[in-house]
Amino acid sequence: MSKTSVLIVGAGPAGLAAAITLKAEQPDAEVCVIDKAAEPGNHNLSGATFQAECLSTLLGAVDRNWEKSEQAKDVLAHKVTKDNVMFLAGDKFAFNIAFSLKLAKRLRINFAQMSHQGNYIVSVSKLTKWLTQIAKKAGVEVIHGFAAEDIIYDTTKNIATGIKLVDQGLDKQGGKPPNYVAGEIVNADVIILAEGCDGLVTEKFIQKAGLVRKANQLYSIGVKEIIKVSDEQFKKFTAERVVHAMGYPLWTPVLGPAMFGGGVMHPVSQNHIDVGMIVGLDWKGCDFSPQDALTNFKNHKFVKKFIDGGTVVEAGAKMIPEGGFYALPRNPQTFAIGKSNVLILGDAAGFVNMLKMKGLHNAIKSGIAAGQAIARCTNNLNAVSSKYTELLNMSGVMEEMKQSSRFRQNVAKLGPLFGIPLSVFGQKFPLFNVEKDYFALTRRKYKYKPAKSYDKNTFTALAETAHREEQPSHLTIINRNICAQKCTPKFNSPCITFCPAGVYETIGEQVKPANPSNCLHCKTCQRKCPFDNICWTAPEGGGGPRYKNM
Amino acid sequence: MAHASAGFAERITDLKMSDYIVLIKQVPDITQITDNAFNLETGTLIRSRLESVINELDTHALAVANRMNQLSGGAGKIIALSMGPPMAEEVLRYCLARCADSAVLLTDHSLGGADTCATANPLAFAIRKIAKEILSGSNDYYIVSGMQSVDGDTAQVPAQIAEELNVPCVAYITDAEYKNGRFEFVKIISGGNQIVSVKSAPAVITVAKYEYPLFATFAKHRQAEKFKLIQWGANDINATHIGINGSRTRVISVFPPGKTTRKCRHIADAEELAKEIIENFGKSQQRDEKSSDGSYILPAARTNPFDRNFEGTKKESEDYKILAGILEKLGVKKLSEITEEIKEQILSSAGEHFHKNALEDMINGFKVKDPSYQGAVWVVAENDEEKIHPSTFELVGKARSLADSLETRVGVVIAGKNIHPLCKELIAAGTDDVYVVEDSLLEVFDPATYKKAISEVIAKHQPQIVLYAATPRGRILAPMVAYRLGCGLTADCTGLDIKDSSRKQQAAILMQTRPALGGNVMATISTKDSQCQMATARPGVMKRLPPDTTRKGRIIKEQVQISQSDLSLDIIKTEKGTGKVNFSAEVVVSGGKGMQSRDNYEMLVSHLAEALSQRLNTFVEKGASRAAVEQGFAERIHQVGQTGTSIGPKLYIALGISGAIQHMIGVANSDIIVAINSDPNAPIFKHCDYYMTGTVEEIVPRLAESLAKSANQPLQALQV
Repeated sequence: MSKTSVLIVGAGPAGLAAAITLKAEQPDAEVCVIDKAAEPGNHNLSGATFQAECLSTLLGAVDRNWEKSEQAKDVLAHKVTKDNVMFLAGDKFAFNIAFSLKLAKRLRINFAQMSHQGNYIVSVSKLTKWLTQIAKKAGVEVIHGFAAEDIIYDTTKNIATGIKLVDQGLDKQGGKPPNYVAGEIVNADVIILAEGCDGLVTEKFIQKAGLVRKANQLYSIGVKEIIKVSDEQFKKFTAERVVHAMGYPLWTPVLGPAMFGGGVMHPVSQNHIDVGMIVGLDWKGCDFSPQDALTNFKNHKFVKKFIDGGTVVEAGAKMIPEGGFYALPRNPQTFAIGKSNVLILGDAAGFVNMLKMKGLHNAIKSGIAAGQAIARCTNNLNAVSSKYTELLNMSGVMEEMKQSSRFRQNVAKLGPLFGIPLSVFGQKFPLFNVEKDYFALTRRKYKYKPAKSYDKNTFTALAETAHREEQPSHLTIINRNICAQKCTPKFNSPCITFCPAGVYETIGEQVKPANPSNCLHCKTCQRKCPFDNICWTAPEGGGGPRYKNM
Repeated sequence: MAHASAGFAERITDLKMSDYIVLIKQVPDITQITDNAFNLETGTLIRSRLESVINELDTHALAVANRMNQLSGGAGKIIALSMGPPMAEEVLRYCLARCADSAVLLTDHSLGGADTCATANPLAFAIRKIAKEILSGSNDYYIVSGMQSVDGDTAQVPAQIAEELNVPCVAYITDAEYKNGRFEFVKIISGGNQIVSVKSAPAVITVAKYEYPLFATFAKHRQAEKFKLIQWGANDINATHIGINGSRTRVISVFPPGKTTRKCRHIADAEELAKEIIENFGKSQQRDEKSSDGSYILPAARTNPFDRNFEGTKKESEDYKILAGILEKLGVKKLSEITEEIKEQILSSAGEHFHKNALEDMINGFKVKDPSYQGAVWVVAENDEEKIHPSTFELVGKARSLADSLETRVGVVIAGKNIHPLCKELIAAGTDDVYVVEDSLLEVFDPATYKKAISEVIAKHQPQIVLYAATPRGRILAPMVAYRLGCGLTADCTGLDIKDSSRKQQAAILMQTRPALGGNVMATISTKDSQCQMATARPGVMKRLPPDTTRKGRIIKEQVQISQSDLSLDIIKTEKGTGKVNFSAEVVVSGGKGMQSRDNYEMLVSHLAEALSQRLNTFVEKGASRAAVEQGFAERIHQVGQTGTSIGPKLYIALGISGAIQHMIGVANSDIIVAINSDPNAPIFKHCDYYMTGTVEEIVPRLAESLAKSANQPLQALQV
């Protein structure tokens, strides 16, 4: 059996920040980070505009000259100078409403946080790869290709003792061929859950340890393509512009705003622009697919001029936890985000600031807090989670989360058209009780459904997703009768439409996760199935997408 | 109790404590190859443009080594050995994270740029050092490696290591068992399987496929990350042939393969497909084959002393053409007329084309009149159960045209028991001299006895060229013979031409062209520092001559001492597939993994074969991909592809076959290829003439029906 002092599940920005911080404070600490991706950064995707100040705290602790390294220059190559906040009306007209943010700033309204001026445009995949190198150099064991399946939690002592890894080598039927390897249990004194959005082990831990979310966690899905464009197009776009767009194609003029979210654009590298679409999972249209909205966005006159004729070179999808402050899982007694020797970080906890539309800086700050908490509690590891939460309060993360606390709930309740402006008075509203996203689905149809269906095969090919084919499906339909008797007649099996990877298909009469090896690990299906009838578990380590510049 | 412990002691003595040295290669990930990954000027791979991965078959080899160790008690050591740049340590850590106890990285600048001989040689020296220093002088060890690497595709290195170490070599195994205190290996042979064991250890084992590659365990992975690799340089092993200098071949040029001439047409409807098949069957398909016209003329026989139209590379041919043009303009007729002044004039009119040093080389090239090699052009025959393999006749056809260019004779060396009656057929196919080695010990193929017989005859008669078929047998025999005789060898050639390399002072040498990196590029290679130029040629590519029974030739008996002690293998069982298979059929229908089950395979393949046979009025044979054979859908004898049988029917239909490169190589000579596959991204769709996307269960019955329905349409080709 393996044993380590600190075990971190998930080698993303949050988990690596925790590892690096702890190593900087205690060079002798035994820190091990595991990740289900085959290579560093493969499962990390984001916009992302990044408030990079936290990097000085994190990296300054290990290397005073961190800013001068080649990778630092590469990762932080693009600073935002052009902040386009667009309102799109139909597929032709676009209005820049960035001025209203400037005005809001002057009036000291929270809303102003939406401005991205001075932030960096980064690829989280590249950032993660870089942080992995730094962590390894600092003596952290970062081990890729191993997926975590469960947490070993002692309910009598209220502590966790280890993590169970996913079995390897099972055949399709779950049989054990000669090369089968049972998932090992890795024991640890402290466990950090930094799995990202809707973490498998995190959610199991929340159940086992009795953590509570005051409000339901709400999600969005982001789908994104990196497009290689011409010299002229890139010159026009510049390496310093970010675009956030509201309105078309998510808002419908007659019925009013239908869906929360919008389109985004960022420069990626020379002649490469990413175009993404983020949509709240509480959409109503049963025939809606975020990729259809992306297609419409790409065809909007404002967007098209930058990307027309370009080639898509990389693609991917991920969920974003948007419930904010009240959706943070907490120990009901101590309010700790975690319990005794277990901490929950980053997107796994849900540290996304919805006013800023950013979570990366908070993920890293939560990692720093976790690393410091462990360093300060070496004699009483069961107090780590309380210390961690205390440090989070001091670090400004909680302050930010509080300021944006009711934003997403307001929007969910009042709709984007009223919800967003009214969030000016955000804190004045009561906390609306918003149901989980999957309740929202209706038989309504998406108004701008494109004539041609989105090419999901190419999308998954460009995400370079792959799994060993001969393993049991990691996606399960819990009750097949529900699909056949309720969902298909009522909603026409929406999972087939909305899964960005085309995992679901009707085979014979039955809806099945027919292509589990296409899965991008976004987990939208398990949060959007209108009957809460899909369960995502982790497949064998090393599978999934292989993002490089996402 | 006493009884029990005695039993335990017995078991202990029963156990073998063999150790294992597993050869691991880091290769570029050719599945991700991009158009710009190759520098076409220098012919080198730009490695930074491709990710590096472990050669997949080497992962199978590692699993086989682990299995052998487990079967025999698990007490042996497994050592991973790799030669490569420092970054190759990644693939060694892959092994350590699974089952390897230790790992050795052989890395040195001077080892770079090596051909198979200069790779096998230092590896063999490293193996000796491992045996001595890590395995404390033990002789009881196995060298296990993947059959071939995806980048080189030669399968030569393991056999050449066996030759350098003078140990047995068992090639193409798919499984190992441990019975009565020794290992039994299941190996692929043409049309069947063989179960063999080795007469002595150490021995080299090459793995063609093993179903159960190992997974890393977390605990081992952690150890692997911290493990301090043993690193050796060239000076540590004192190998005799290393790097570019130790190589016996050199790459002359690298160029992109000709665009596929297959139509790659997507057909939506079974009826339309049936129509296309009927309309095109038997028609000659327009393909621009690379013709090697045999029009080469020896320098001495050329009328113009400045005629250098037969250079190995396009660039040199062009330069010489320009030079000849300038010389004509200047009125120069003889080599002696080229003075320093003339050279100045040439340089000024040649402009950018070549500079001073190049011109000196080229002028010196004119002095080369005699061929660089002397002797006949030979073929090593492959004969099976008193029948000669078709590839031998193809090679004789090629040898004939090469020998005519060189104004020399064609020889064939044939070994076996009672093979004299076969010689006539060889003469009729174009052979001048048949060299026969007969011995009862040569009745079955053992690489050790055959390499001895063949290489002694070659050494005695010293031909200038020796060709082998790139069959499973040829691909193990050729590297051993070549290594033994110190000759360069190029694997799996698809083009063989006589050309000059005048600037390198060579004339009438064999230019050997072969696909590399999974068919993504073509490379032209020539032999150097060798007595004789050797190559294996891909079956089905060269054309045999129509037999001429009136041809005259000599049959020469050769005596080679073969004794029992020369045998390296115990052949326990040979399983030829049940029934007879006739792959010279005009139509072959093959099934792959996509058939899902043996029942499906039998039903659907037979169904379509019958419909085609009725409609096209010809014999239709059934084939299978390796995956289908491994899954037990079909017998090994039906296996089509590089490790099975290479075929060239008029019509090849692939059902549920994804189209791995090894499979496509084996059917490349087919006139028409039709593919049906449910995966729209199946690679076979890029190498076929017609394809339909969908499940075989769905399409095959419809296609068969459409074929039957069209029975009243006339067959176009038959009308002609």
